[in-house]
Amino acid sequence: MQQPMKQAYADVPVEEKTRLYREVVQDARFDTYLYGCYECGICVAACPSARFYDFSPRKIAQALAREDVDLVYEQMNDDVWNCSQCFSCLRCPRGNNPGGLITIMREVAVNNGLRTTKEALAGYTRIIYKIMTTGTQVSPDMLQEDAFPDWGPQVKEVADHLAVWRRALPPETMHTTALSWEVEERTMRELYAIWKWTGTLDMIAQLDEGLHDIMEEIMDDALEDSGIA
Amino acid sequence: MAMADRVLVVGGGPAGLEAARGIADLGTPVLLVEAKDTLGGTPWESYATLTPHLAPTRELMAEVKGAVESHPLIDVRTATRVVASEGGAGNFQVTLEHGGARVVEAAGAVVVATGFQHFDPGRETQMYGYYEYDDVITLVDAERMMQAGQFVRPSNGAPPRSVAFIQCVGSRDRRIGNQYCSKVCCGIASKQSIEVKHLVPDAKVFIFYIDMRMYGFWEDQLYWKAQEEHKVNYIRGIVTEVIKKGDQLLIKGEDTTMGRPVEVPMDLVVLSVGMEPSAGTLEMARIFQIPREPHGFLATVGEPLDTVTTPVPGVFVAGAAAGPKDLEDTVSMGGAAAMRAVSLLRRLAAQPA
Repeated sequence: MQQPMKQAYADVPVEEKTRLYREVVQDARFDTYLYGCYECGICVAACPSARFYDFSPRKIAQALAREDVDLVYEQMNDDVWNCSQCFSCLRCPRGNNPGGLITIMREVAVNNGLRTTKEALAGYTRIIYKIMTTGTQVSPDMLQEDAFPDWGPQVKEVADHLAVWRRALPPETMHTTALSWEVEERTMRELYAIWKWTGTLDMIAQLDEGLHDIMEEIMDDALEDSGIA
Repeated sequence: MAMADRVLVVGGGPAGLEAARGIADLGTPVLLVEAKDTLGGTPWESYATLTPHLAPTRELMAEVKGAVESHPLIDVRTATRVVASEGGAGNFQVTLEHGGARVVEAAGAVVVATGFQHFDPGRETQMYGYYEYDDVITLVDAERMMQAGQFVRPSNGAPPRSVAFIQCVGSRDRRIGNQYCSKVCCGIASKQSIEVKHLVPDAKVFIFYIDMRMYGFWEDQLYWKAQEEHKVNYIRGIVTEVIKKGDQLLIKGEDTTMGRPVEVPMDLVVLSVGMEPSAGTLEMARIFQIPREPHGFLATVGEPLDTVTTPVPGVFVAGAAAGPKDLEDTVSMGGAAAMRAVSLLRRLAAQPA
């Protein structure tokens, strides 16, 4: 639906916006993620991000239902990364999944290498690298005093004696400092295989080609050594 | 004067048909008076299909209509009007007029089932251009087109690419004087939106509403179905004005849940007109001296547990003459009025003279 107000991304051709919109609605999951919207706002009321940002899962569902390609494009650039993907919005009485719609929109944004997506995810390349090469996300040794000054002086205390603190944890698999927990080599190979074969690794190519190439080499070598590839 | 063992039913629509059939099946003779040339009332005359199952009206109503027409205890008088009444419960002396000739008939009780008329969207201050623009039509006009198996723009006969329904036209409006909800228009508009998509699959269909009132099973039978299976777009916000722009109609409103104004061209605009008491209902209120409730419809006593007894002894009401009704409620009231009318006559007959 057209609107007389000033439009964001007016310089992007409508054909391009329509192409991305179609990629979203043609996703196999779309029909079970958006049935119909009452516009009741229960998803917004449940949404933790909506409390802190100008962000509304309801408007995501509505923009898609209204086939508003301009607004969907705007949301794909400016809104979808404000979602924490907690899926509190699943309490929708119509069975909609606004968080799932955002998942699809994010994937389309990443696959198409939108500039705003690259910017939004720039700070996460370290985490992507960590997850995709080690199988765990935030590692204990990331918790350094300079990185988290607002967490107080105990961060330094923990960081200085990290190995001791970690050994105090009951599960032996968590006596790690550079990884969140021990990941078996076989598990790692399986993860590499999944990421390569599902196209997850390819998504990174649009975001950060250098990072992609490094990870692909690591994965290919490991898979080759194990005889899977 | 002796008691008349007969019930006068005024109006041959769904409520009157069911009342007449019920009374006759209980063994009491019926005099059924209908002003039009044929029985069946507003649905028979104007509706292509019935809500909520989209069944063809005439196919569905033919059974009850035929049962009434062939019933040995029902005296059907079409093209006939009630013009005067004297007497009261047990012995009404009612003057009927048919083709200029008048006769007086006796009845012990009366069921008024004279129904409603659709709101005239050109009458009041709403700026929808019903009488100015060919492509602004009402739900009733749409039904008539669908009776002919088509849905096109009256201006050029072409299928519309975009259709906007505007809800609550003539309802819920203090300025117009109708403060009530007409109950069925949300369902009818949703039903028609599904039919529009059947007839014109490529059309974009919008429904502009204040609240969607899809009570009971209509929720998923009509509302969810239209929205989910047929991608009908429900937009909360009422259109304030329809103006002509080129060969299209520009509708102006607010998309209230998105918090932005809407100004979009449409090929066809359908006004969801509400219900008002019909001319016949007002005429029966005068003739039988039935008080009207605050919204203008025939008053009943004993609400909510008695839906059909009017303040006038011996006079009962069924259907939309008593207020906006869907067909289920209308027909149920026909049955309830039949039971009350027959039981009144039996009570009177049992009294010592």
